[in-house]
Amino acid sequence: MPFRRFIDWLRRLFWRRKLIRLGFYGAPNAGKTSLANRISMDWLGEPVGKVSEVPHETRMVQKKEHVVVRSKGKELDMNLLDMPGIATKVDYRDFSAYGLRKSESLKRAKEATKGVIEAIKWLENVDAALVVMDSTQDPFTQVNITILGNLEARKIPVIIVANKIDSKKSRVNKVREAFPQHVVVEVSALTGQNINKLYEAIAKHAR
Amino acid sequence: MKISLEFVSNRMLESMGDDEKLKFILKNVKESKILVLEKGLTRQEERRLFQRTMEQISKSFPGIEISSFGEEPEGLRSRLIQILGGKTQGITIVGPSNLVKEIKRDPDKLRVLAELK
Repeated sequence: MPFRRFIDWLRRLFWRRKLIRLGFYGAPNAGKTSLANRISMDWLGEPVGKVSEVPHETRMVQKKEHVVVRSKGKELDMNLLDMPGIATKVDYRDFSAYGLRKSESLKRAKEATKGVIEAIKWLENVDAALVVMDSTQDPFTQVNITILGNLEARKIPVIIVANKIDSKKSRVNKVREAFPQHVVVEVSALTGQNINKLYEAIAKHAR
Repeated sequence: MKISLEFVSNRMLESMGDDEKLKFILKNVKESKILVLEKGLTRQEERRLFQRTMEQISKSFPGIEISSFGEEPEGLRSRLIQILGGKTQGITIVGPSNLVKEIKRDPDKLRVLAELK
């Protein structure tokens, strides 16, 4: 929109630092909130959201503003946008395996579908994206391919984060082989392993 | 339970507008059909299909399994081939997730795993 472009231009003109909206995308349980928490705790000392093994724990976009990341002399001021996981199916029966009652499962499923829609709409409103993949799982899924395709079409800078490298089942090479055209950084959001490499990549690519 | 597998021609898909195409897909998938679309969906169409699917999730319709295979119809190479009068080979397979358990893919093959109840 011309008005938004004009505002962005004014911001760049009068503000020293550009504020970057960094979206965390991926399938449910890829570790998006764990990663957002890790980054936010490292630079702001506050978490972004609650983490759970039950899928679709994040059902609304969670925001943490003005997280300033510094790496190799570069500084980025970012709003972290932790998105609900994108899925093509939400079956309320899947939640019962985690001990949720039927009414809770139905409520969670309804909220989860709204969350997916919200995350999809936000694809048009981020300046850079971390596409988080669980490196213990097959990365070549339609959800990952569609997310990447839509970000590419809008020329939004993307870093693929191969998460959960602390697990013995992690296969980072599969992620690299599936998406050779993208920057892939392997991390463990849980332990913080390799997180500095991610900060370097963010400082280099998310502008 | 029977499985219905339908091949949808490029001609039919091109006769439909964007909205009509998504409605057609979801209507058929909700009738427990697995569709093979001769002309694969674009990434933007897939995104809109995900969104529409979420709007229609219910107890009886938990969602879809989908996979697109081959050249993306809107890619630069595809466009060039189309301009030169050629045909690109992308296809999309989509089915209800309560029937299609998984569509495994790698760069060279697609495998559809369906389960009858």
